[in-house]
Amino acid sequence: MDRLISRLTGIDFQQWVVYIGFLGIFLFFAATLHDDGFLTERNLTNIVLQTAPVTIMAIGLVFALSAGEIDLSFGSIVAVAALSAAVAMQSYSMAVGIAAGLGAGILIGAVNGILVAYLKLPSFLVTLATMGLFAGIARSMTNLRSIPVVNDAFTGIFGSGKLFTVPSLVIWTVIGVGLGHLIYRHTKFGAHVVATGDNPRAAQVSGIKVPRVRFYVLTISGACAGLAGLLYAGRLQAAKYTLGESDLMTVIAAVIVGGTALNGGKGSVIGALVGSLLMGMLNNGLILMNLKVSDQMIVRGLIILLAVAVSLRDSKR
Amino acid sequence: MKHTLKSIATCAALALATLPAMAQTVGPQGETATATSEIVAPEASIEAVKAAGHTAALLWHDQSDFVNAVTAGATDEFARFGIEVVATTSAGFDAAKQRSDIETALIKKPSIILSLPLDPVTSAAAFKEAKADGVKLVFLSNLPADYTHPDDYAAIVTDDLFQMGKQAADALAASMDGAGTVGWIYHDAAYYVTNQRDKAFKTTIENDYPNISIVAEQGISDPARAEEIANAMLLRNPDLGGIYVTWAGPAEGVLAALRANGNDTTKIVTLDLSEPIALDMVKGGNVAAIVADEAYELGRAMAAAGILDLLDQEVPPFIVAPAVTVTADNVAEGWMQSLRIEAPESVR
Repeated sequence: MDRLISRLTGIDFQQWVVYIGFLGIFLFFAATLHDDGFLTERNLTNIVLQTAPVTIMAIGLVFALSAGEIDLSFGSIVAVAALSAAVAMQSYSMAVGIAAGLGAGILIGAVNGILVAYLKLPSFLVTLATMGLFAGIARSMTNLRSIPVVNDAFTGIFGSGKLFTVPSLVIWTVIGVGLGHLIYRHTKFGAHVVATGDNPRAAQVSGIKVPRVRFYVLTISGACAGLAGLLYAGRLQAAKYTLGESDLMTVIAAVIVGGTALNGGKGSVIGALVGSLLMGMLNNGLILMNLKVSDQMIVRGLIILLAVAVSLRDSKR
Repeated sequence: MKHTLKSIATCAALALATLPAMAQTVGPQGETATATSEIVAPEASIEAVKAAGHTAALLWHDQSDFVNAVTAGATDEFARFGIEVVATTSAGFDAAKQRSDIETALIKKPSIILSLPLDPVTSAAAFKEAKADGVKLVFLSNLPADYTHPDDYAAIVTDDLFQMGKQAADALAASMDGAGTVGWIYHDAAYYVTNQRDKAFKTTIENDYPNISIVAEQGISDPARAEEIANAMLLRNPDLGGIYVTWAGPAEGVLAALRANGNDTTKIVTLDLSEPIALDMVKGGNVAAIVADEAYELGRAMAAAGILDLLDQEVPPFIVAPAVTVTADNVAEGWMQSLRIEAPESVR
């Protein structure tokens, strides 16, 4: 039955839990918060806009986790990328700012990749170290100062702008998820990522260049964090060293709830998107319910715990 | 020569002109302070405000005893005027989350938002939507960049920051009998509140206590590093008479360092109430005094400022709540005055 549903829908049955959970929580909020504006277009758009950077970071993490690696440094990369772009745009054009932000993300991701893939260091320890290293660099880059971003074209493209009536952050989400899903599900590289995470030795024997895959997934994770940094800088019209710092747990939860295995060999970009939206919807709904801050944290924690427990239990079957 | 004399005279005149300003708390844009006691929403308007069905959102930067007391003060004042609080959030010092919290709260169409903008630069865009929706904004301590009063916001309400630093200096000096050496552990971040308090301590020691010298200065941004910072400071200056610590969190680390060194002579003063710090103080340990703010009163004044703005009455741009020096002799009273809650049993 599981296989039949999987074949018919193209979605791994084990990953259905996130869609069911998302729908259940959506319906609950829709019913209880109908009069509080939950279902208004403005609020639903808010949820997508607010989760856009988390979704982009989650896509990168799907690749890293699927290959059997982890990236803990993406929060620090977000801050370095956002600050690099903001500082560059104080003196140079928007193109230089974008290149600086994305370049910083790709470069740090590549450093992680080299240390893991070619120096054979464990990704957990490497990215734990680079998380601290780049958090420190982000602080020292501008001596703890926030940098305003006043380039209207940049803030339009990466933050508050619209293409026709579609907000730019929604477009970035669609592009990121579409491209990520395409590469993950429909390219040889995507298959190699899953094979490497599933059984690296078997993957190596079957001709997959495992170190290269590991290098690329961590570089992709860095690039995604770099893009998330640009989105934050565009949305806030400023960059600060704290950007991305508190997203680590949210992104990991979104990815795991979305059906990506912690120990590699299995993942879903669409699942990560739904996981990310689930996290955003929880934040949104619990505030609209007018719960106390401590109660919001408790309820959010319990729901994530339940969702992760069900996801991991399903994936072990 | 004439030019030099003229320059010296000009400098002296400027220095004298700035002295009174340095001796009091001034707003982020140099605004003169008004005491919270002067901010009173008119009783006569209670029924009119109730009838209008206004609502409020409290969008805080973090969670703490201080925030709880501010929330209690604001909520009680709003309740008096029949204003329902429809959303309460904590951004956990995350500028992006604060932006999201504002957007989410606006869905409930609050008439008033009370909030601490995390950072003048990142908050400027975050509150733009609230401004556009016509929400009355009352800020705690910080002001988003380029916001002007009264068009963009009703008021900034904060602690009497200069008095907090000054009273800490006075308390430490008193515990040292007005003589000796001091270590100054300040907040190493561009943050208006702590920067003003820290500077006020230093200025007061330098100007008012000629027999006390600050011999060690160390910035701190991570409270978890306070113990090692204090250890290094004590290693280089074993005879320190006192240490000023920018707030209670790192002061706990400094206290741990003094205890580990068997040092029971170096005095500590710090800002904001904390049970472990107060416990050491009432037991006659290193802590000489804690300087706190009247957080409940601050919250009440924030709500009152928002209500006055709703009523189209004039609200001063910069409002300050009084500081309270808490020593071993007045812990219970100080706690009640600051947070409007009973002091923990251990320190009563």
